[in-house]
Amino acid sequence: MSSPYKIEVENLNAWYGHQQVLIDINMKIKDKAVTAIMGPSGCGKTTFIRCLNRMHELVPRAKVSGKVIFNGVNIYDNGVDPTWVRKRIGMVFQKPNPFPMMSIYDNVAFGPRIHGIGDKKLLDQIVRQSLEMAGLWEEVKGDLRRPASALSGGQQQRLCIARALALEPEVILMDEPTSHLDPISAAKIETLIRRLAEKYAIVIVTHNVQQAARVSDYVAFFYMGRLVEYGPTKEVFERPRSELTERYVTGKFG
Amino acid sequence: MERIIDLELRGLETMVAHMCELAHRAISTALHESLHHGDSYDKVRETSDFLMILADQVEDKAVEIILKFQPVASDLRMVKTLMRISYDLARLGRYALDIAYVNKRFNGVRDCDEWIREYIKNMGQKVMNMVELSLASIKDKSLKSVKEISYLEREVDELYKSFLDKIAKDTSESRAIVSSVLIVRYLERIADHMVYAYEALIYMLTGRRELIE
Repeated sequence: MSSPYKIEVENLNAWYGHQQVLIDINMKIKDKAVTAIMGPSGCGKTTFIRCLNRMHELVPRAKVSGKVIFNGVNIYDNGVDPTWVRKRIGMVFQKPNPFPMMSIYDNVAFGPRIHGIGDKKLLDQIVRQSLEMAGLWEEVKGDLRRPASALSGGQQQRLCIARALALEPEVILMDEPTSHLDPISAAKIETLIRRLAEKYAIVIVTHNVQQAARVSDYVAFFYMGRLVEYGPTKEVFERPRSELTERYVTGKFG
Repeated sequence: MERIIDLELRGLETMVAHMCELAHRAISTALHESLHHGDSYDKVRETSDFLMILADQVEDKAVEIILKFQPVASDLRMVKTLMRISYDLARLGRYALDIAYVNKRFNGVRDCDEWIREYIKNMGQKVMNMVELSLASIKDKSLKSVKEISYLEREVDELYKSFLDKIAKDTSESRAIVSSVLIVRYLERIADHMVYAYEALIYMLTGRRELIE
């Protein structure tokens, strides 16, 4: 029987130099669900998701211990290719970061090309499917040769999501994907997140408590590098077990 | 630092506290008059109508708070609970009015046999005790009366059932039967609403959904 969990985090610790930023995190992330990571600035949210696809190690002097088990494989085991990990566990960043001078088409086709897909017909299909899934196809199908920089901020963020989808990931990590967007663009991304959760495991870092309540199925609250509380969204927002969570979600912090 | 929502929640609490006082006054007036002389139907009706208006206002205010602040955790539970309690208090006002109507139409239970008057006096005292305990708990946000409420609720239920058994065998005239049965029934419903309000209070203060047994 297959596990309902896509990722299982066991005793995860992370450091920047001597500074420990994650302390003994244990967490199971469900497939086909949205898991929101929330907490105050500096609590380790972004570091946590960067540990889930081995991006943390790209920072000089950064270190990780513990396990991140993805489909039964500890991604930190010797011999596991980090490029393979990042392909299967995609990432969308806070600020939309398409290749600005590249066309919309090339932005989406970039990843598949790097991974050896050269067939034009297949690429066309991947580009279309990815843009459709990201909810952008109808808006850009008339001119895929336009540079990505010609798109609005919200469209650029959806292009970045399409770019991640083009690699056929199983998990999508999103680091505050709407923080730079206007409310309408943010609402479109939130709708998209819900739709994508029908097929993928989504992990979203957010500062916005209401956004976490709206889009997620599960919520984790981090504080000073520790996982304080983790559970179904309704429970955490209706009757948090921890006084710290209560104070954070009701804005009584500090 | 105080949050903007705190001010709004306090406003909601004040409205519900005012409703508690009005509901208590309406019931005690109606109940007193069922046993003694008086003419307060219009006064009780006015209070009962005002309670309905206040319940609507509490609901509007609660919706406004939800809209403006999207409350979560203890804030959310407080909004939901105060809405629930305001409804229970409005129902209390309605039952007080129902008793006042029986007083007006049938002379309360003043013309009934002594045992009926004593029975209703005793049951009324227990119900008023429940009302006072529940309303005090709501005002103080305290759960210390849970055992007493539970005990009284069982007693009131027993009194209600036992009254129906007794009256079924009684030879009183139909007028006395109708008025006493109605009042006993309203008292039993008032007790139920006080239990619901107390259960809502438990949810607000602890997050647990518990039934008082």
